[in-house]
Amino acid sequence: MKHRLNKAVALAAAGALAMTAVPLLAGTVSGASSKPTYTIGVQGPFTGSDADYGNYDYAGVQYAVSLANASGKYGFHLKVEKFDDQGSSTVAPGAAQKAVGTKNLVAVVGPAFSGPSEVSYKYYHAAHIAEVSPSATAVALASGSDSSFLRTVADDSVQGGADASYLVTTKGEKNITVIGDESFYGAGLADAVATDAKALGATVTTQQIANFNEGGGGNAGAYSTLATSLAQAKPAAIFYGGYASEFGLLIGDLTADGYTTATHVIMSGDGSNDASLMTSTSPATAANGAFVSQSATGKVSYFTGKMATAFTKLTHTKASIAIYAAQSYDAANAIIKALVADKKTSSIKTLRKETVTSLHKVSFAGVTGPIAFQADGNLKVDKGAVQISEVDNGVITLVTSVG
Amino acid sequence: MGFAHFWLSGFDQIRAGFWAYFAVGLQNGALYAMIAVGYTLVYGVLGLINFAHGEVFMCGGFAGVLLTHAILGQGVANGWESVGLVLAGIVFAGLISALVATGVEQVAYRPLRRRHAPKLAYLISAIGASYFLQTIAGKEFGYGQTTFPAEVFPAGQTMFYIGNTPIHTIEVICVVVGTIMFLAADRIVRSTRLGRGIRAVAQDAETSALMGVNIDRTITLTFIIGGSLAGAAGFLYALQNGIVQNSGTALGIYAFTAAVLGGIGNLRGAALGGMLIGLFGSFSVPFAFEGNISWTEIYTFIILVLVLIVRPTGILGEKSGRTA
Repeated sequence: MKHRLNKAVALAAAGALAMTAVPLLAGTVSGASSKPTYTIGVQGPFTGSDADYGNYDYAGVQYAVSLANASGKYGFHLKVEKFDDQGSSTVAPGAAQKAVGTKNLVAVVGPAFSGPSEVSYKYYHAAHIAEVSPSATAVALASGSDSSFLRTVADDSVQGGADASYLVTTKGEKNITVIGDESFYGAGLADAVATDAKALGATVTTQQIANFNEGGGGNAGAYSTLATSLAQAKPAAIFYGGYASEFGLLIGDLTADGYTTATHVIMSGDGSNDASLMTSTSPATAANGAFVSQSATGKVSYFTGKMATAFTKLTHTKASIAIYAAQSYDAANAIIKALVADKKTSSIKTLRKETVTSLHKVSFAGVTGPIAFQADGNLKVDKGAVQISEVDNGVITLVTSVG
Repeated sequence: MGFAHFWLSGFDQIRAGFWAYFAVGLQNGALYAMIAVGYTLVYGVLGLINFAHGEVFMCGGFAGVLLTHAILGQGVANGWESVGLVLAGIVFAGLISALVATGVEQVAYRPLRRRHAPKLAYLISAIGASYFLQTIAGKEFGYGQTTFPAEVFPAGQTMFYIGNTPIHTIEVICVVVGTIMFLAADRIVRSTRLGRGIRAVAQDAETSALMGVNIDRTITLTFIIGGSLAGAAGFLYALQNGIVQNSGTALGIYAFTAAVLGGIGNLRGAALGGMLIGLFGSFSVPFAFEGNISWTEIYTFIILVLVLIVRPTGILGEKSGRTA
């Protein structure tokens, strides 16, 4: 169905392109009498075990774009294109280069993950293409001024602080082992949790174990030896900074060694906040009782009422589970508002540049909250509450908000 | 003070959890040993390191997981059903990996052997074959994406206890299967006509050809034996960890190290090396500085270097030509 829809959009786009063929050949993207078609790319995992994230991001962008096109009030037509990085830092450069080489691509929503964002940045930045990520939360991604990387989600310093506060203050755990997966995102979040938990008075032991799903050179067998060691050391709580696939494997290994969610707090961040956590955990029931957080402005349930119905009807995706779809929707709308502000009489190269500049000036009430960016690309208002969820009978269920 | 405390607390952890570390170490060691047999056999007959062997292991993992998923779906087996599925997985994974290993030999090595290419050409060819297999698996199953474990028995199932330490079914299966398959390979090489052929080719290929040994056939059979052990190891590994397109890289390095530690070319050395590296890797986890598990690899390689300084041909000695 989606495929058919894409075909229809592609046909419409082809028609629009045909009508603007002469000005395009002349190096411009604007026709005097017809609307030009611009492409918004979506970079994220569309295949593999993390494909949910990419598909939800795409659904959010698709929703925003369909509303914009249907409104008829803009001087351009939009289409959406997927760029699959499989959530892997190894694959991401290829996806980014493909996006950069895509004709009439003006900006990208994504990448979904922090590792791929880190390695993709140089390609987009060199081509002056704005990336507006709905979910890449690593602190180090946003830096410098007039960055072409922006995000509609708070960074890990906010999430890490809230996670530490939940473990130490709410749960009262004073002896915590914090594990980083050596990925750009996971190690950063683990550092933030460790630092903040120490500041709150907890005794923190840190561990690092290389991931093997996000381009890391890790060995899955090492997770069982780490689990054995943790089960011996018996910290009161374990925090894992990393992704669902490895977190699930670790929970399975820990459970086999007698360290379970029934007796201890086992927690991870938004990288593990996905239904694939249950399929990665063997047996799946061992994941029950594990906690996962969701960064500030990162909650799922922003689409409500008529919006949720319209979203589901258009994208065939349940609004209640489509994590980061609302953040993607806001990211796409930020790009659309930037395009409106652009001059649009210039070449695609200049239009991309203008979009980066315009994005830094947008300010509107997004569905997730106020959307306006700092010079480094972070949200101006990013102090929303971090949501802590627990796996309850195989379903990730909201427990509380911190902050 | 801090340094002494670090080491003492490491020993405390080992004292408290000796059997748990021992069981995991034996399990990993059995897997390393099964893969190491392939490295050592091929080195014995061809005098080269088959760097695509890690990918032969990986192919076995995918084959076993796909077969058991096809039979079992999302369910979890129990009792005799589990036994049947484990056996089916081992046989199927062994077969597929043997096929892949033979394919690598036919495509990557045989043409070079016919043209008496220098050893360096084999090395490049092996690296090429390794990348090829990884890329094919990545294209088919996703790059760096786990194909989830085959639940042919309840994950984390405890078979028995030593004191308070649970010994898991997966650990017992790995050690038992590894031991049986190793003994079978050892028997074949030591006591059969084929084994004599392998040993003869390893000693002097030209002379053994003059004596009527079919070199091509012997080499193919060597790859089949090594491949089937690696494939079975791949399936056993995937039972617990799932499998990724690059799983063979890390495991392959460990297994190759095991073969060198035991004495490359020496079948029993491969088994001994595998077990030692497995156990050492497990027992060194409590001594990982700053909790970084990568330190266990550094410790392992320090031990390897120390052993090689004392015994440059490995613990049991290189026995190229007198395999086993």
